[in-house]
Amino acid sequence: MSRDLSDFYRSLTGDADARAVVAPEALRERADRRARVRATGIVLAAALLVAGVGTGTGLVLTGQREAVTPPAGTPTPVVTAPSPSPSATPGTPSPARTTPSRSPAAPPSSAPPPARTPTSIPDRAFFTQPLATTAWPPVANDDGRALPDLCGADLDDRVVQRRGRALFYHLTPNTPEGTVPYGAYRHTITIHRPGRADDWMADLRRAVRDCPEQEVADGRTSRQRLLAGGDFGDEAVLVEMREPAWAGGEPVEGETIRLIRAIRVGDVVTVLWEMGWEGTSSDRRQVDDYSRRAVRAVSDWLD
Amino acid sequence: MAGKRGDDMRDAGSFDEFYRSTSRRMLRYGYAVAGNYTEAQDLVQEAYARAWRQWGRMTAHPAPEAWLRLVVARLATDRRRRLRGWHAALTRSGPPEVVPPPSEDGVLLLDALRRLPAAQRQALALHYLFDMSVEEIARETEVPTGTVKSWLSRGRARLAALLPGVSDAELEANDVS
Repeated sequence: MSRDLSDFYRSLTGDADARAVVAPEALRERADRRARVRATGIVLAAALLVAGVGTGTGLVLTGQREAVTPPAGTPTPVVTAPSPSPSATPGTPSPARTTPSRSPAAPPSSAPPPARTPTSIPDRAFFTQPLATTAWPPVANDDGRALPDLCGADLDDRVVQRRGRALFYHLTPNTPEGTVPYGAYRHTITIHRPGRADDWMADLRRAVRDCPEQEVADGRTSRQRLLAGGDFGDEAVLVEMREPAWAGGEPVEGETIRLIRAIRVGDVVTVLWEMGWEGTSSDRRQVDDYSRRAVRAVSDWLD
Repeated sequence: MAGKRGDDMRDAGSFDEFYRSTSRRMLRYGYAVAGNYTEAQDLVQEAYARAWRQWGRMTAHPAPEAWLRLVVARLATDRRRRLRGWHAALTRSGPPEVVPPPSEDGVLLLDALRRLPAAQRQALALHYLFDMSVEEIARETEVPTGTVKSWLSRGRARLAALLPGVSDAELEANDVS
């Protein structure tokens, strides 16, 4: 006996109709309550992000992890070593923006204009997010960490200046209003002491290599590795962190992947630490897009 | 207090009326698209919650039900993981729902639909549940009509292969374009 697909859909309709439907009053009440909780959550999320949360599993609002404070003795991240006065003539372009201190092979043999190290980070050094995928406006905060913890590695934080902010984004453009972000970033820009930025990048690579695995919470282990940094700025480091996925405070199938990219442009390093949202994983194309924008903004500032 | 003023502009009565007149259809649609009733309930309630949050503007929307279908379809394809909290909040608030056993055909169809790409499930649901033409589906999903024809054709062929007693040839004969 031949049958029509419509018959099957009619059966499915009957099954759906046999179920109870939530009363509209209850739905409205819960939607309003959730909107209030979300508004509180945005503030909390921003606070957690700018404080530098955890070690890269992303933004978790369920309280599974405590905010990690800087190790004892870590100097305050902002301005500890005033930069020497720039030696370049104002307006002179600086084709090589750095003077590597530990890489004798790197300095150019010709005599380019001396590298110019900026002394402060203006707003225009931060890139503008694409409007169509911006979930919420950036939240500025100059305190907090630029990177997740890497087995307690102590990267040189004696910098000229660091500024940071939290970014919230959607993966697809024109997402319906009210949609929670796909992810969030901790985005920092740091001016290192002249010639020290490449050392910091080398230290970061070493810290990742020396920390292939670490416990990030009770029973939860994160694995780290270096990926090809990509063609960004003078050099770039891309760190991948993986850990078993969690949802609602319980382990679930799969893994959560975090990407963190540090890009050096002269004596300036900008770090994009993708922190996810409620267990999302970093999207490589999205991270690359923000990386390009970040480099362009820093380069425009330095030029 | 700006948000409060916006809330006050929403008319709960018109929302409730809209909800009562469309939520059943929307649940059927969510069920066919998501392939799971609990998930469909989550998706649909999330979609209505979003509609309610902006109900002041939604009342002027030319096709609010189509807007909801789009939200449901979009949530079904890439945002279901975010809805666990919403479902938990709903299920915490009362005793477990008494659920009648699903029909055999319904189970067979859901099982078959789960093996189809999301776009094909969406197109088939719009056609079989809302009686929409290829052109109407194309408008709603914002793709060319040729793409919709392809989704429907492939989806039907796949369902015919998976469901007992359904002939692919008959599907072609009954094709609605």
